[in-house]
Amino acid sequence: MRYFPFGRAAFSILMLAVASGAWLSLQPAPKHHATLTYWTYANTHYNSYKKVIPEFERQNPGVTVDLELVSLNALSSRMQAAMLADLDVPDIFEMEIGQSGTLFRGPTKDIGLVDLGPRIHAPGPDGAPPLWDRMVHARFSPYTNRGHIYGLPHDVHAVQLAYRRDIFEKAGVDVSQIKTWDDFVKVGRKMTIPNKRYMMEMSDSDATVLEPLLFQRGGGYFDENGRVIMDNEIAVQTMCWYVPLVAGPHKIASNVGYFGQVQTKAVEDGYMLCYICPDWRSKTFENDVSHMKGKMGLMPVPLAAPNGPQTTTWGGTMVGLTKHNNHQDLAWKLAMFLLLDKTQVAERYRATNILPPVKDLWADPAFHERSAYWSNEKTGESYIRLAPEVPPHYSSPVIQTATDKFSQALIDCVHYYNVHGYVDHGDAQFESYVRSRLKLRADQVRAMAGRNPY
Amino acid sequence: MSNILAGRPAAQAASGSGPRPGRRPLSDKATPYLFVSPFMILFAVFGVWPIIRSLILAFYATNGPKSQVFVGLKNFEFLFADPDFHTAVWNTLVFAFWSVVLQIPFALGLAILLNQRWLPGRTFLRLAFFSPNLLGQVFVGVLFSVLLAPQYGLLNKALHALIGLPLDTKWLSNPALVMPAIVLTSLWLYVGFNMIYFLAALQAVDKELYEAAMIDGAGPWRQFLAVTLPGIRPVATFVLVTTTIGSFQLFELPYTMLSNSAGPNNAGLTVVMYLYNNGFVTGDLGYASAVGWTLAIGVLLISLVQMRVTGVWKGEAK
Repeated sequence: MRYFPFGRAAFSILMLAVASGAWLSLQPAPKHHATLTYWTYANTHYNSYKKVIPEFERQNPGVTVDLELVSLNALSSRMQAAMLADLDVPDIFEMEIGQSGTLFRGPTKDIGLVDLGPRIHAPGPDGAPPLWDRMVHARFSPYTNRGHIYGLPHDVHAVQLAYRRDIFEKAGVDVSQIKTWDDFVKVGRKMTIPNKRYMMEMSDSDATVLEPLLFQRGGGYFDENGRVIMDNEIAVQTMCWYVPLVAGPHKIASNVGYFGQVQTKAVEDGYMLCYICPDWRSKTFENDVSHMKGKMGLMPVPLAAPNGPQTTTWGGTMVGLTKHNNHQDLAWKLAMFLLLDKTQVAERYRATNILPPVKDLWADPAFHERSAYWSNEKTGESYIRLAPEVPPHYSSPVIQTATDKFSQALIDCVHYYNVHGYVDHGDAQFESYVRSRLKLRADQVRAMAGRNPY
Repeated sequence: MSNILAGRPAAQAASGSGPRPGRRPLSDKATPYLFVSPFMILFAVFGVWPIIRSLILAFYATNGPKSQVFVGLKNFEFLFADPDFHTAVWNTLVFAFWSVVLQIPFALGLAILLNQRWLPGRTFLRLAFFSPNLLGQVFVGVLFSVLLAPQYGLLNKALHALIGLPLDTKWLSNPALVMPAIVLTSLWLYVGFNMIYFLAALQAVDKELYEAAMIDGAGPWRQFLAVTLPGIRPVATFVLVTTTIGSFQLFELPYTMLSNSAGPNNAGLTVVMYLYNNGFVTGDLGYASAVGWTLAIGVLLISLVQMRVTGVWKGEAK
């Protein structure tokens, strides 16, 4: 203490600080061993990739891949924060379709993703056609921004309607006769028992099902140039058609939530008879309500217009490469391996029911097998038949605001319908109200989008 | 004092080998600063600098540190004109109002009840009422989203059996029912926590005052008004202010209850959720900073009003 003027206490603190600092500095910094880091949010993707990545590592000596499962919301916020702040990001990652648009904000030069367009349009190895020619083009739409393609589609996600085959058969309903939505609604009026059984899973307070039905009719939130179109004539007519299905005395649809035990119970109890069912959800049903094997069936989405598509789309995943990546060619190679390698396609399809977006892969026998769960139907074939008709789904950095506002417009219209009635006041008045609410909400999205000064 | 701190024997100072009388050595002057410096450095780096930075950012439209455009007061102009912000403020005020109006009387009532010696199992009951607070908002949010589910949720089943409420009552997807559901959940979560404060305050009230009041002929209600309430007033003020501030910071509970969203028609949108959505979903940290500063100033003003009304500054609450 003689030579330290601040006393024992300060000396002790200083020694403690020096000791702990020395200890920390002597600890080896955790090294990033893997050559590539891959983040995914989907358990099914993770399990599937985990099995085949050793083969990629074997084919590429010296290359290691660190595959990480990150929760959906965490992945989105971590990716955004990391890219915004120039922090460490994975070399390759997957992002849910509804959140991917938020990554395209700001000046093009500052977007933290690699423009995959040149690679997608380049001829494939060994004289193979460009990837662009092999894929369903509509699936690039959500990941394209200002002419640049920032994501590879992981899927097509064509939609059918899942239905309770046993209940329909018992009631003498022949689903093959349901060709149009008018046919569907007619059957729905017969099958619905208010508060006990509804024809269809549709919500009166969120646009989760309304959105794919809008896509089926050729509508959307944005056009291909990112302009807001959620108040155009297609949207108005879709809303006018949808609201009486979920509100008022003649409603045929209800909703208890789209996932989880409550929804599972609703399927079991036959509380709802039909569910919008993209390929991925057909596996969810199979896993979550396995004892319904043989009682469930799939049918195409009824036609909204005579020559329109018998399908739509719900959900999706983009695969992106980050600019931070020092091994972009290798990351692309991994993406191609996971997307195109024929040896793993069958097993992955059987594990997920997800149809890949590459059309020439659909020839694999796995896509043409019968499914015992879905009443022995060839489910893969039915999705393949619909996949080329999948409508585009354009996105924008303000996509989440748009989905929120569209849901708000739905709530406004449902409220109006419940209070004023549709029949009493006539179609024109209701339509006028729908038009005004959609315009109001679309203008709010435009205002939000207009704040972007870049 | 400085000698003690410095750890030098007083004799050494007296012998003349120390500094001259009337002038403290530099090391003595520096000692206090040295002691507080670790905190001050950390606070400056992780507290003061982010606060200053966020104030600057509030005048920029941002897309990460690379892209920033000065927009002056436009963030604030947009904020005050944005109907979503109005909704968020309204929802937050409604939640804060009902939190204060329901939580404080409930917590006080429970505390009084569980302070009675005649009540059997009161230690267990205290723990039981406090225990929801150990769970955390996220867990409680998930739990209540299941309890409040239409058709199959426990609450609907119970209310259907008791009063015939429709089974498909949509607590979390009917805009009119979202806020009552959040207030109800928050009541379950926090009433036990505030009860502990009131219990401590009640036990600190001088028993002789009750005896004196009884001798003067005061009944239980009069005793409550004349003895208990003045006795617990400082704690009640503290609970009032912290409940209000906590209410303005509401985020995780509705966010998890409403499946990571603001709920139907933004019925569960709070100011902090609005901030989060703009800062971390839309990615405009500049605008989020403007929201943050507006919220901070709003909470400060309301707290000042509350402290003024309850007379804290004049020492009336002591």
